[in-house]
Amino acid sequence: MSGDTSSHLVLTDVVVTFNGFQAVNGLHMTVGKGELRCLIGPNGAGKTTALDTICGQTKPASGKIMFKGKSLNKLEEHQISRAGIGRKFQVPSVFRELTVRENLQVAYCKHTGVLANAFRFGRGQEADGLEKLAELVGLQGQLNTSAGHLSHGQTQWLEIALLLAQDPELILMDEPTAGMTVQETRKTADLFNRLKGRHTLIVVEHDMSFVKEIGEVISVMHQGRMLAEGTAQQIERNQEVREAYLGSGGITGA
Amino acid sequence: MSRRTAVQIAVYGIVCLAILLVPTFYDDAFVLNKYSRYLVLGILAIALSLSWGYTGILNLGQATSFGLGSYCMAMGLKLRTVPVHTGSAGLPDFMVWNNVDKLPWFWEPFNSMTFAIFAGIAVPVIFAVLLGWFIFRGRVTGVYVAIITLAVLVVVNLLIIDQQRFTGGFNGITDLAQLEIFGLTFDAYGSSSYYLIAVSLTFSLFFALAITKSKAGLILQAIRDQENRVRYFGYDVATFKMFSFAVSAGIAGLAGMLYTIVMEFASPTFLGVPLSLAIVIWCAVGGRQSLLGAMLGAIVVTGMQGALSESETFLDTWTLIMGFLFVVVVLFLPKGLAGAAEMLLDRIWPSAGNGNGRANKSTSRNTLPRKTEPAE
Ligand SMILES: Nc1ncnc2c1ncn2[C@@H]1O[C@H](COP(=O)(O)OP(=O)(O)OP(=O)(O)O)[C@@H](O)[C@H]1O
Ligand SMILES: [Mg+2]
Repeated sequence: MSGDTSSHLVLTDVVVTFNGFQAVNGLHMTVGKGELRCLIGPNGAGKTTALDTICGQTKPASGKIMFKGKSLNKLEEHQISRAGIGRKFQVPSVFRELTVRENLQVAYCKHTGVLANAFRFGRGQEADGLEKLAELVGLQGQLNTSAGHLSHGQTQWLEIALLLAQDPELILMDEPTAGMTVQETRKTADLFNRLKGRHTLIVVEHDMSFVKEIGEVISVMHQGRMLAEGTAQQIERNQEVREAYLGSGGITGA
Repeated sequence: MSRRTAVQIAVYGIVCLAILLVPTFYDDAFVLNKYSRYLVLGILAIALSLSWGYTGILNLGQATSFGLGSYCMAMGLKLRTVPVHTGSAGLPDFMVWNNVDKLPWFWEPFNSMTFAIFAGIAVPVIFAVLLGWFIFRGRVTGVYVAIITLAVLVVVNLLIIDQQRFTGGFNGITDLAQLEIFGLTFDAYGSSSYYLIAVSLTFSLFFALAITKSKAGLILQAIRDQENRVRYFGYDVATFKMFSFAVSAGIAGLAGMLYTIVMEFASPTFLGVPLSLAIVIWCAVGGRQSLLGAMLGAIVVTGMQGALSESETFLDTWTLIMGFLFVVVVLFLPKGLAGAAEMLLDRIWPSAGNGNGRANKSTSRNTLPRKTEPAE
């Protein structure tokens, strides 16, 4: 890790159990401000669960989660979001009954109060920004289509656009390129490289070539623990990592 | 403003205008009173459309707010009557019969009509905020919300029947004065009451429309769609739901007050389960995701009910006919008559829906996405 970045997010000894099963088992992780961290690991390693604990979807049984020096443990989901954390879900999660434009309007959440929004009608400036965003992810032609009609790849793009509209300091991405074509994956890599620096990103991915294109530091999880951390080369040479991926077709094919 | 919103406002305005013009064609007191009743129930349907249709809160206890509003108005009007039978000034007759010799403290403020009218909206709203706090902070969703709201309705209803000394029990509060405000008298069988109700309906409709068109309204719809996702954008879902629930209760309370004016009494049946379930049916038939649809649904269904039950030929079969109609609409028109009308409009005149983009929304989920016209 480049030592000049202050630590933005710190997970200390986080444990998550589901009915006695330890999905996350003493996880430590530190991510610096502006860093793009890739999180990999075989199926069931606990990657999604780790993101769930950061954004408040599941509460850890023990351990500490600190963001910008403040504990997130006791906060509700919306409070964590207001603290500056946004999340893309593994199963793309958008508002299927709303149009693409409306989805983006909801995601544009600078004001979160009820009354602040009850008197909000004009969407002039906001609308400009939203149209540019839609263009960025190639959905400018679908602005008036309801999100339920989008293809899987387009839905992925829409959810990414929602995060851009939300504009959080820390972005959590769970398998953003699943279901995307090679070109789309490349476009995503470009986008992430541009976000890096201005935002802190944690990207869960299986596609190693994609990971190599975007990530500096890669964290590997296995059976709920942090197995290794380092550059792509270090990770690929790491004996423990190779063993963890045994039987799942090797690290590149995971 | 998008073209679609403009079209919508125009349609809503025309319907309200038509409703306001009715007394110029019919000046039969009995007919006007009947229509007034239908309109009040239309307001009640608008209230449910806001919470159920737009926020996804299936409130089976909407009649609670309606009844509370109606009792507040009745209490105010009751204290304005001079009880002829008992001659006991200032004390409602049913209290005298129940050996109450002093006006209970919570009746006192109703000596002021302004307070009574204020309470007719405030009481249901406060009640909804409290109930909503428990339901939505506790993250109760789906069918459990329906069960809780229905249970609360039953409890409030029983309480009112049980506390006969203060509420008139089964008989309700009868023998009321006519409402007088600003020097106007609202006679249940006069056009003045009709106009009061038509204006209140117009106001409620446009007030609810403004909410659904605001950003908050959009967030409510997002909550209906996927409330978990909404949380991760920083919106406190419980607060938004309480807001929708409370506004809906306030509108229902207003409707309850107006109902007391046209019926000239308040009764525990106004908080009845049959009425509460009927509201759901009106919304389903008219289209719960359309305020106007839900309102017209209530007016058309209750109007038909009235017509069928009065006609000799259908005297025995009208409930059957209504039930059949309901099943047909729910089976074949999941978005109610409003949904069907919108779909038809999109076919005939596609550009009308092209403004702020719900062109594809009204078409059913499983049709293919249409080619979208280039943005304006
Ligand atoms: N809600 C839950 N209840 C019970 N077990 C769960 C739950 N969520 C996850 N698990 C279990 O916890 C473990 C970790 O799951 P998780 O989804 O975090 O893995 P992952 O690393 O994201 O895997 P993948 O690469 O397949 O997405 C798995 O064994 C999974 O079955
Ligand atoms: Mg996962």
